Amino acid sequence: MPLRLLVDDGASASAGLALDETLASRVGEGISAPTLHLYTYRPHCVLVGRFQEVSHEIDLEACASANIDVNRRPTGGGAILMGPAQLGVALAVPRESGGARELMRSFAYKLRRALADLGINAVFRGKNDLAVNGAKIAGLGIHRDISGGLLFHASLLLDLDVQLMMRVLRTPFARVSRREMDIVSRRIATVRTLVDEEVTMNELREHVAHSFGVDRTGELDADERQAVATLEFSRYRDAAWVHQRSDVPDSAGRATVRTPGGIVDVRVAMAGRTIKTAWIRGDFFADDRTVAELEGLLRWLPAERDAIAAMVRRTWTLEGGTVDATAVIEAVCSAVARAINEPSSPYGCFVAPGSSHG
Amino acid sequence: MSEPRAFNVPRDRYYDGTHHLWAMRDETSGRVRIGIDAIGLEALGELAYVAVDKVDALIARGASVGTLEAAKMTTSIAAPITGTIVARNKDVLADPRLINEDPYGAGWLLEIEPSMWSADAAEMLSGDAIAPWANAEIEKLDAETEGPRGASSAAG
Repeated sequence: MPLRLLVDDGASASAGLALDETLASRVGEGISAPTLHLYTYRPHCVLVGRFQEVSHEIDLEACASANIDVNRRPTGGGAILMGPAQLGVALAVPRESGGARELMRSFAYKLRRALADLGINAVFRGKNDLAVNGAKIAGLGIHRDISGGLLFHASLLLDLDVQLMMRVLRTPFARVSRREMDIVSRRIATVRTLVDEEVTMNELREHVAHSFGVDRTGELDADERQAVATLEFSRYRDAAWVHQRSDVPDSAGRATVRTPGGIVDVRVAMAGRTIKTAWIRGDFFADDRTVAELEGLLRWLPAERDAIAAMVRRTWTLEGGTVDATAVIEAVCSAVARAINEPSSPYGCFVAPGSSHG
Repeated sequence: MSEPRAFNVPRDRYYDGTHHLWAMRDETSGRVRIGIDAIGLEALGELAYVAVDKVDALIARGASVGTLEAAKMTTSIAAPITGTIVARNKDVLADPRLINEDPYGAGWLLEIEPSMWSADAAEMLSGDAIAPWANAEIEKLDAETEGPRGASSAAG
C-alpha cells in the first residue's frame, strides 16, 4: 500500500501527538493508510518520554512563564524541546510491514539519506540516535500499539535554541555557565550549523519526503479527524496523562576519580537501574568527540559494570588523551553506585535531549 | 556462523503466541499469573519502565492491560486472558529489570482471576505445540538481526 504524506505546521502538542497515536492505532487496525507525518509544533512545547517524571525533567515554572506547552509522548526516551525549527517525523505502518528492528533500520536509513542529500553524513549511534561527528542531530523512537500498528517517531533538528532548551529542562546546575552552554551546544548538531543558515524547514521536509518516496500531500478523512479529536481530548489534554508518575525511582549521583593524567568528574541521572544521561568532565585532556560519543552511548544503558566497561572501552582511546579507560570506568561506576546508594536530587536528560530510547 | 541461540521456554505454562506473554494457572486458587516470555524479551531488550492496570480492573483477552518501555520500543501489553486483576507485582513496577533477569519467576506481571479460562487456554499454546512455535519465533528474530545465527529452541 502506498504511503500517504501529511504535512502541517504549528501543531499544538496535544494535537500533534494525538494525530500520531491515532494513525498508529488505525493503521494497525487496517482502517487507515500507512502514513508519513512531517510537521512542526507551534513555539514551543516540551515533550517528555512515555514514562518520565515531568517535575524531574522540566522546569515547569520556566515553561509556564515562557508559555511553553508540556506533554507526554507515546514513545520513550528523554524530554525534547519542539518548535518551528525541529521537524517532527512520524511514520505509522502496520505490523505486517516487518519486524520493528528491521523497520527501525529502514526508518533511520531514510532519515540519513535525506540528510546526505543536504551534504550531512549522519551515523546511527547507540540505541536510537543519529549523530554527526559525535553530536546528535536526531532522536528516534518506536511505539507498538495494541492493534499491532507501529509508530516511528523522530525529532530532526533544523536548528535549536540551546539557551531556551537549557532554561526549560532541568539540569544539575544551579546556574548554567557559558562553559556548560558551550559544551551542550557541541553535543548537538543542526542542519543549519552544519550546512547553511538559509536552509528552510520546507526544504528539509522535502528531502525527508523524497527519501521516503512520497511527494504529494494527502489529508485526513472525517473519521480520522474525529478519532484524533477524541484521543486529543481524552488523553493529551488530560493533566493525569501529562503528569502521571512512574513507580521507577529517578536518582542522580556524582563521582570524581583522581589520576596522574587529571581528575575525571562524572555525573549520572538514573531511572531505576538504567542510566538516563551521563556528564563527563574534569581537567584531563581528551578528544571532545570521544567524550561526546561516550556520553551518547551511556544514555539508556543498563547500569551494570560490564555494560559500562564495554561502552567505555569501545570509545575511549589514549590518542592525545591523558586518562585511560580504567579510570573512566571507575568514575562512571562510582557515580552510578552513588546514585543508587546515596541518591541526590534527580534531574533530567539535559544533554542532547531526544527520544533515544524506546 | 555464530552458535544458535537458545531460549528458555518452559512447558509448564501457556503462551500467547502473538504477544509473547505466558499464563500459568494455580490449580489451588484458580488464579492465573502472567508474564513476558524470553523470546519476547529478546525482541524488546532491557526494560526501563512498566505500568499495568490497577487491582480490580476488568480485562479482556487481547485488550491493553498496560504499557512498557524497553531499550528498543514502547509497547502496549495485551492481556492473554479475560478476567479481573487481583494482584500486581510491585517489585517489577519499581524495578522492571527483574523481568529480564527472571521472566518466569520473580518477573511475573499480574495475577488474574480468570472468567473464561478454558476458552482462553484453548486459544494459547501449550505442551507439544510450544517447541515448533518457539523455533519459528526464534527464526523470525534471527532474521531481523544482523546475520542469521541459526534457529534453535530450548523449549522444554
